[in-house]
Amino acid sequence: MTDVYVHGIGMTQFGTFVDRTMKDLLLDACVQALEDAGNPRVDAVFIGNFMGGAIYNQEILGAIVANELGLGFIPTAKVEGACASGGIAVRQGVLGILSGEYDTVLVAGVEKMKHASTADVTQAINAAMDNDSNEKHAGLTFPGFFGVLANRYFYETGASKKHLAMVALKNREHALNNPLAQFQKATTLDEIMGARIITNPLGLFDCSPMTDGAAAVVISREKSSVHIRSSAQASGPTQMQDADDLLSIPAIGESGRMAYEKAGVGPGDIDVVEIHDCFSMTELLAIEELGFFNKREGWKAIEEGRTKATGDKPVNTSGGLLSRGHPIGATGVAQIYQLVRQLRGTAVNQVDGARLALAQNLGGTGSYSTVHILERV
Amino acid sequence: MNVFTCNGCDYQSMTAKYVCPKCRQGKFETREVSSKGTVYSFTDIHIAPAEFAGIAPYTVALVQLDEANVKVTTRMALGVQIGDCVELDRIEDGAFLYKGV
Repeated sequence: MTDVYVHGIGMTQFGTFVDRTMKDLLLDACVQALEDAGNPRVDAVFIGNFMGGAIYNQEILGAIVANELGLGFIPTAKVEGACASGGIAVRQGVLGILSGEYDTVLVAGVEKMKHASTADVTQAINAAMDNDSNEKHAGLTFPGFFGVLANRYFYETGASKKHLAMVALKNREHALNNPLAQFQKATTLDEIMGARIITNPLGLFDCSPMTDGAAAVVISREKSSVHIRSSAQASGPTQMQDADDLLSIPAIGESGRMAYEKAGVGPGDIDVVEIHDCFSMTELLAIEELGFFNKREGWKAIEEGRTKATGDKPVNTSGGLLSRGHPIGATGVAQIYQLVRQLRGTAVNQVDGARLALAQNLGGTGSYSTVHILERV
Repeated sequence: MNVFTCNGCDYQSMTAKYVCPKCRQGKFETREVSSKGTVYSFTDIHIAPAEFAGIAPYTVALVQLDEANVKVTTRMALGVQIGDCVELDRIEDGAFLYKGV
């Protein structure tokens, strides 16, 4: 159990904002969060960001936030953990408060991707693989990794491409109600199944998009109505060929196990979930790893509609990475944004009476995972 | 091809570690094994990063080696299925290029 509470949240629209700078998006989310928190004195800033240096030539994000917002000469840092950069930034803020060093911390995440070509962004994302490995030299990509997992998952279970499509459709249907989501156009199973192939069996709708956007939270040791009950992080294999079981992502399972243990709750107690669905296949594995459903049976829960906002284990009520969008460094913070709204009772796709919420943020080929469990108090 | 085996337990890997991640004590030794194996899973990559865009579409296959409890990530031509018997064709720019047996 931690003594850390969420006081403010902010988030920009996710989508294509070629005319807005990274700083503009980042400050927009931060100001929203500070105003929501009642403009408290901030003791430190942590920013989640992955490729700002690589494709946007902008670093020193923490100092920019402190300076532009006039927060004083407080310590700041940028946190990088591939697609888990945002979740790890939140965790660094929590740890900073738990250590006794800070009372109140501003955490934000941001990414600018839409100004660059798909090939250049794919190349930059591949920095989250091991450059010295034979599998990077073979031409493996992140959608490729989850394509390999999906073909094996189909081989070992009764799942098929239709089940991946059902994940994508569910998250799109959630996003239709979310005015901040990147994709708000209705689609159908047929359109998803027939979309162009990226890395088979994954098609366009099975892959999270390139996105511009930012999200922010203000956390503090002062009490509020949303308690961060636990924060956990784990590592895993940085190469596909090192996996003991290809259909397991141990970083997700281990970060979940630690988060449950610290919070004193189990998977059955969680009312609403934001999971790292960078690909439709990833959501299937994550709901298994986090103990919501049996291993190799997540596809059955999808088929039965159990993970819809109206189901018994609502997953990605924001639309998830697939349809809310995936501005890489912002994603882990945006998950917290949606769950805080769920616990305040003001969310899109509100789950009635939600009390316990879980966010899981993944980086690399299972290299990093964070889990945060939030509680309405 | 070479695989790494722990001298303290049965752990085997394509990559050497400082210490065995399974028994946390053993050190790694190299062992030469046949490159032959079976396709464990695969994907056909149609959208590739800039450095591989010129050869797309291509297949990346995870191959279970016959003579070691080790899987290796390879590149192959399109048309691969799980269970196919395959072997090393050549090593090029650090990649294992495999072909059907």
